[in-house]
Amino acid sequence: MKYYRPKTTAELFELLENEQGSKALLAGGTDLMPRYEQGRPFPDLLIDLKHLPEMSEIHEEQEEIIIGALTSVEDLKKNPLIRRYAKALSMAAGEFAAVQIRHRATIGGNLMNASPAGDLIPPLNILNAGLMVSSRQSVREIPIDEFHLGPGKTALDETEILTEIRFKKTDLESTFVKLGLRRAMAISVVNLAASYKILDGKYQALNLAAGAVAPTVVGLEKYAEAVVADVEAIDTEIALLENAISPIDDIRATARYRRKALKNIARYTLHELLSETDE
Amino acid sequence: MDTFSKQEKMEIELTVNGQIVRRTVPTTLRLLDFLRDDLHLTGAKEVCAEGECGACTVFLDGRTVNSCLIFAVEADGAEITTIEGLAENGVQGELKKAFVKHHSVQCGYCIPGMVLSGLQVLEENDHPSVEEAAEGIAGNICRCTGYHKILEAIVETGRSES
Repeated sequence: MKYYRPKTTAELFELLENEQGSKALLAGGTDLMPRYEQGRPFPDLLIDLKHLPEMSEIHEEQEEIIIGALTSVEDLKKNPLIRRYAKALSMAAGEFAAVQIRHRATIGGNLMNASPAGDLIPPLNILNAGLMVSSRQSVREIPIDEFHLGPGKTALDETEILTEIRFKKTDLESTFVKLGLRRAMAISVVNLAASYKILDGKYQALNLAAGAVAPTVVGLEKYAEAVVADVEAIDTEIALLENAISPIDDIRATARYRRKALKNIARYTLHELLSETDE
Repeated sequence: MDTFSKQEKMEIELTVNGQIVRRTVPTTLRLLDFLRDDLHLTGAKEVCAEGECGACTVFLDGRTVNSCLIFAVEADGAEITTIEGLAENGVQGELKKAFVKHHSVQCGYCIPGMVLSGLQVLEENDHPSVEEAAEGIAGNICRCTGYHKILEAIVETGRSES
């Protein structure tokens, strides 16, 4: 295994296009290393992205927040802009693994790993985030809900890298709820992000996205919109969530359990947010 | 092909516990093995080898990490502090003494990681509560103590460091 540490994106694209052999891109390594430990063969080339400039910062523009793909989950958790404009993302980062992992793991790595249970994905989904993807020739933006094609699969080709995540500033509140088997380190059995605005005991705006209940994170806008139209419809709409998901049985939970858990978490969250805002 | 790639080597230079170290290492070597086998710093331990247990915790450029999840070549140019590199005075010494005073150590295997995670808590928060200390060591597993005495040591060090 050859180890490369490109210092510029030009150098990186050169490696991606011209070097022969199997390649692995390394960010924090917290998902990659356990796979090698479990016997996956090492690639011919390991390309360490951590020394690329300007990819580990969070900044704001007039209307948008921009997160560099190499931003660590710990930095995401602590960042005041994220806390202010993307509370659900801040909460998901706060519940992510444990501090040693959060110091290394990156938001870009979490997105590229494309786990159906990736905790940072539902909070980006409800923000309608755009993911900026670059190759030597082009830059394109992929909407978050088109980025993941299935477990471990993204819409990127082999010469492209994810460089930043952008989303519009919003005055909506948001929250993130995760059900795991242990408080620290747990991979979500089910997770849910909600953005909302509540006035006079009613949802003025609502968006929902759930993870670990289908091959990719599922946006639940349709159900959320029905709740905005009629707050009395919460319980009936939640019963219908069943139609939007296709969970599996795995080591952490059965499909049946996931169906129930998502509905219970969604019901609890939507009622709870209303009663909290009442006080 | 695979055998060849496993033998690929690279020279790295890093600072470990304040000393500059230069070695040629296989690119597939983990930082944990480099510290233990090449440098004979055996404080960091291997248990789970997948980042769940925290026994291999070290400081890399001032932040705690799991050294089992990092290639040694990734640490080229970095500054590493292991349990062996902690000072006897200041907060580092106080925390070590508090672990002894509170009988926070039973079998001892998790303790280097616990002390370093405790130190990370104290570096960010002069007076952590029990809950904050517990959050800080959530990535470190201990099968002996039940954690209480470890938390007491961290919290007390925070109280005494004013």
